[in-house]
Amino acid sequence: MFGLEAIIAHDGLGISVIGISIVFVSLVLLSFAVSQIHKLIELWDKKNTSYQHLKKPQQKDQKTPSVSDLAIPQDVQRASRQFKLLIEWMGEPFPLPKLLDLSEKCGLSRPHSTINELLKCELIIPDENGYFIWNTQVEEKRSST
Amino acid sequence: MTDLLIEFLSNTGFALVDYRNIIMLLVGIIIIYLGVAKQYEPLLLVPIGFGILIGNIPIIKDFGLGIYESGSFLNYVYYGVTHDIYPPLIFLGIGALTDFSTMLARPVLMLLGAAAQIGIFTTFLGALAIGFPPNEAASIGIIGGADGPTAIFLTAMLAPRLIGPIAVAAYSYMALVPVIQPPIMRLLTTRKERLIKMEEPREVSRTEKIIFPIIGFLLCCFLAPAALPLLGMLFFGNLLKECVVVERLARTARTSLIDIVTILLGVTVGASTQADVFLTPQSIGIFALGAFSFAIATAAGVIFAKIMNLFLRKKINPLIGAAGVSAVPNSARVVQMVGQKEDPTNFLLMHAMAPNISGVIGSAIAAAILWSFMSL
Repeated sequence: MFGLEAIIAHDGLGISVIGISIVFVSLVLLSFAVSQIHKLIELWDKKNTSYQHLKKPQQKDQKTPSVSDLAIPQDVQRASRQFKLLIEWMGEPFPLPKLLDLSEKCGLSRPHSTINELLKCELIIPDENGYFIWNTQVEEKRSST
Repeated sequence: MTDLLIEFLSNTGFALVDYRNIIMLLVGIIIIYLGVAKQYEPLLLVPIGFGILIGNIPIIKDFGLGIYESGSFLNYVYYGVTHDIYPPLIFLGIGALTDFSTMLARPVLMLLGAAAQIGIFTTFLGALAIGFPPNEAASIGIIGGADGPTAIFLTAMLAPRLIGPIAVAAYSYMALVPVIQPPIMRLLTTRKERLIKMEEPREVSRTEKIIFPIIGFLLCCFLAPAALPLLGMLFFGNLLKECVVVERLARTARTSLIDIVTILLGVTVGASTQADVFLTPQSIGIFALGAFSFAIATAAGVIFAKIMNLFLRKKINPLIGAAGVSAVPNSARVVQMVGQKEDPTNFLLMHAMAPNISGVIGSAIAAAILWSFMSL
């Protein structure tokens, strides 16, 4: 059997329509669930903060942990994500000139100064062989604050 | 003594070779050339190309050497392909390698990964129309998912005899993404659309990144349980990466494990493409349909992005729709390349990773659906 006859005989249209519908439904649901995760986390955090606030009003003046040592300028924070993608693509460890070259080719703005900032913030650190690696620990600390 | 020498010579490859072996050896050399000289997916094409050379050395049948002869070394290693062991392990490595941040930051882009799966089902219909039985048509259609492990996974279940041609077609087209996709992307978009700059995605917290693989796994596998081996490993790998506390396991999954499995998978898939299995009219049909599938998937992603722009306040660059075909990260790189040709300051790679990764999830779900339907 060939052509439309074969498609109809094997219920091809039904399988295709149902199949693509299920793929869409799955990803729409996943997309919706994902879009709600950060809202739920915010709600949870707020609830915890208010609860602690009510429970310990007298400890208001207590010093909150400083994150200044982890503070990174806003524009560098944005650029760091782009650099991280480039580094993931290059593989680790990587030579700094290669990262610089690639970032210039990709048209990232001010690659020299951004790499310098990333080095200062220790998001990029040297390994023992003259290459560099992405420091996931500092990144984790930053995202958890 | 002369008899011994004659017998030995009659058993050598020179005596046993026929034109089909020569053709396949040339195919193997071309694939190695593409991997080495052109650097099209070298990690895949070099093992596959050399595997084709291994599989097409003329040998005496029943000598216990060939990949299809039980007890041979290659046959043991091939077990991982025919019994769907390698694809889930590769997904584990992909999960441990992948950063889902951009997708979590703008989840609406996941729909582009769903749209690109239209290519799978369109090709399924095309394969049925030219006379393939439904199980083989489903295996051919999955080439459009641009996901080698998924294609092998489904073909091993539904049409094991086609693993060779389908795997080679899937990986070859994945490698040729930089050649196949750009003309379609340019054809379907205006310059103005290609110049659209997308806004920076929001910062995604570590908690979100940890919760996502658990929710994603539960949701997808409740909807399409047959995707369990692939998506289970993908999300598990990602959880290893994101939870940070098992860095050793994550590192193994994204380096040693995925590398070992890629070598075994590549070499055996290549070796399974022996001339008598590969050089058939069916293989030509599979390659033609595979190219068609890729083209449709790319076009569907781009067109769907344009449709989404009709409703979205913050416009998306329709080029990123092409990344929905899921050849990670090749198609995202192609989007970056095409976008930068129009505007060197436009950085689309990060945005394209969202449909790219959701395409992986989408193609695994599509494979699960086809498997379920064919098993009914």
